[in-house]
Amino acid sequence: MLSKLYKVIGGGLLLVYVAAAWQGWEVGSPRRQFLPPDVRNSPGGYRSFHFWHSGYRGGK
Amino acid sequence: MATLQAGCPACGAQVTFRSGSSVVVVCEYCNSVVARTDRALEDLGKVSDVVDSGSPLDIGMRGVYEGMAFELTGRAQLGHAAGGVWDEWYAAFADGRWGWLAEAQGRFYLTFRTEMPGQSLVPPYESLEVGTSVPSIPAPMPFVVTEKGEALMVAAEGEIPYRLIPNEIYRYADLAGLNRAFATIDYGEQMPLVFTGREVGLTELGIVDMAHRRERAPRVVSAAQLSCPNCGGPLELRAPDHTERVTCPNCGSLLDVNRGQLRFLKALEPVGYPQDIKLGAEGEFDGQRYTVIGFMTRSVEFEGVKYFWQEYLLYQPAVGFRWLVQSDGHWSFVEPVSPGDVQASEKTVSYKGKTFRIFQDAAARVEYVAGEFYWKVEVGETVRAVDYVSPPQMLSMEVSGVVGRGKRQGAGQESQEVNWSLGTYLPVKEVERTFQVKNLPRPTNVAPNQPFPHRGVYKYWALFMLAAVVIGGLLSIQRPTKVFEQTFTVQTAPAASATPNVITLPGGRTVTLPVPAATPAAAAGEGSQVIFTEPFEIKGNRNLRVTARANVDNNWIFVEGDLINEATGLVQAFDLPVEYYHGTDGGESWSEGGGEEDVYISALPGGTYTMRLEVQWEKWNQAAPPMVIVRVEQNVARGVNFLLLLCALSLVPLYVLIKKISFESRRWADSEFNAAGTKS
Repeated sequence: MLSKLYKVIGGGLLLVYVAAAWQGWEVGSPRRQFLPPDVRNSPGGYRSFHFWHSGYRGGK
Repeated sequence: MATLQAGCPACGAQVTFRSGSSVVVVCEYCNSVVARTDRALEDLGKVSDVVDSGSPLDIGMRGVYEGMAFELTGRAQLGHAAGGVWDEWYAAFADGRWGWLAEAQGRFYLTFRTEMPGQSLVPPYESLEVGTSVPSIPAPMPFVVTEKGEALMVAAEGEIPYRLIPNEIYRYADLAGLNRAFATIDYGEQMPLVFTGREVGLTELGIVDMAHRRERAPRVVSAAQLSCPNCGGPLELRAPDHTERVTCPNCGSLLDVNRGQLRFLKALEPVGYPQDIKLGAEGEFDGQRYTVIGFMTRSVEFEGVKYFWQEYLLYQPAVGFRWLVQSDGHWSFVEPVSPGDVQASEKTVSYKGKTFRIFQDAAARVEYVAGEFYWKVEVGETVRAVDYVSPPQMLSMEVSGVVGRGKRQGAGQESQEVNWSLGTYLPVKEVERTFQVKNLPRPTNVAPNQPFPHRGVYKYWALFMLAAVVIGGLLSIQRPTKVFEQTFTVQTAPAASATPNVITLPGGRTVTLPVPAATPAAAAGEGSQVIFTEPFEIKGNRNLRVTARANVDNNWIFVEGDLINEATGLVQAFDLPVEYYHGTDGGESWSEGGGEEDVYISALPGGTYTMRLEVQWEKWNQAAPPMVIVRVEQNVARGVNFLLLLCALSLVPLYVLIKKISFESRRWADSEFNAAGTKS
């Protein structure tokens, strides 16, 4: 029973792997959204789009 | 052949020696054994009539063995200490040799007289022990003693190549070797005789067609012919040619069978588990249809507790006897194997290249019997039973010793025997399907030879891993495509100047400007700059890798990027922190990070994209300004996806491995030995 289930699961995983390679899917891909046209067309619009960002806090 | 005809010394009837080298002939009229000597014929005494043993062979049958023609000229029936008789046929070969063709329980052993290099090489009867090897008899692998005992010359017919003495008891030892090799030592003569050969099939003897003709007219003993001497009820013998003991289905009495005559022995009470498959039921195994003719409950005792199991005796005239064993709801189909094919060591045995580990060594006792048996079974009969396992199979060795239970009870006839059998695990549902029964008890523990049910997972795991490696290898062949690369040098804020700026105005007048104060951020080496790239093309259904390389050295540069689809406004954000630190600590140098960082992004819809890059830095302590090389590639094989696949594929096998460890632990919990073969 478990063998049959694993046959399905394993086959599915291989298919997902091939499909991911075929479609260019990546695990843990960063955020993605649409930029409203008014933001794109207004001067300095990108800055307001990124207003939430607090900057990098790395380094030593 | 030189034919000799003469009158029987006992009755005067004509007896004929058709073979020139036969020694005795049995008179067809008075059953006297007539021997020819140099001077005259000699009467050696009378033998009983041969009983019909159901043998497919007959006197006069001809065959060819290894290219040499032969004819069966005679037969003797010998009584075994445990009851019953076996047939020994004598084959006169065209080259003058005699072959001894022994037949027992449907198996045939053809042997020829073997001259030993020295008589001292034949071991004395007393020194033989069943189960031990006899290396002095020439063979590729030493013969193993499978049985030693005493045989009673009961009956005979035809021409026989030795001086047969009626009712004589003589000692013998049977030995088995590798690949069906077989040997017998006959201690009936002053100088023991050695016969070697092997187990043969009727087809190998070239007499199978004639054998079939005899099988077409089987002898049947009907229920009407037999009735129980205890209760008078009718009973039927399903293997009349072999049955030595039978129980009455009406009153349960155990009866002794002797040439069709029944004798009451004792009443029996059922012990242990009930009988799940009825006597007379039929089922098919390995293409052969067997009938259940006997049922037996046996037990072993450990620390004062008896453990029972059931055995069903199966019979198929063309094949012989097999067993169906049920223990704690587990079933096994058991067939005999030649002891010579089993190589035993201290804790393991090997059979046909497979190693079996010892599981149990105990005295097995018969507790109850029902139906027919081919030996004189008794309640209380005890044998040493040793089980070796290699799931789904179990090799069992049974060593028995019998004294004075043959046809001449009390005559001191004895035998010791070792039997090996191979049991193969059967799922309960298969037994139910085979015998058309329902609701057989389900097992609750792990049987010694029960195969681990999920072992097929490992086969699939290996296949999946192989497939993953092949697919991953093919994908890694693809070359990444670079779609964008540019170097950006950003401008850091000017530092505070100590020299005041002096501006010369028209007319020669000068104005001294105040010295501008540096911003706190610039003073700290911090800054950021936003850059927009030129548009570039990105293809759909291909992943992306964005790489940033910067001239960091004990500081960092952070690139916050957006890929912006010019047509749709889709924004794919990404971050690339590039930092590299190094130094020495306690005399040891260390480093952390590097000058390059990348990020993988799922495929974007194909189209024209620009990038917005906001480059940030801090504590910029180098003479050169911050410089970042940004590269965008597509179609990049990523190892982490492959590793994730391998991990995901291994999760179920890992779970199965844990279950197998638990399964094996439960299996060996019921053994007196541990998995290493030592007593626990």
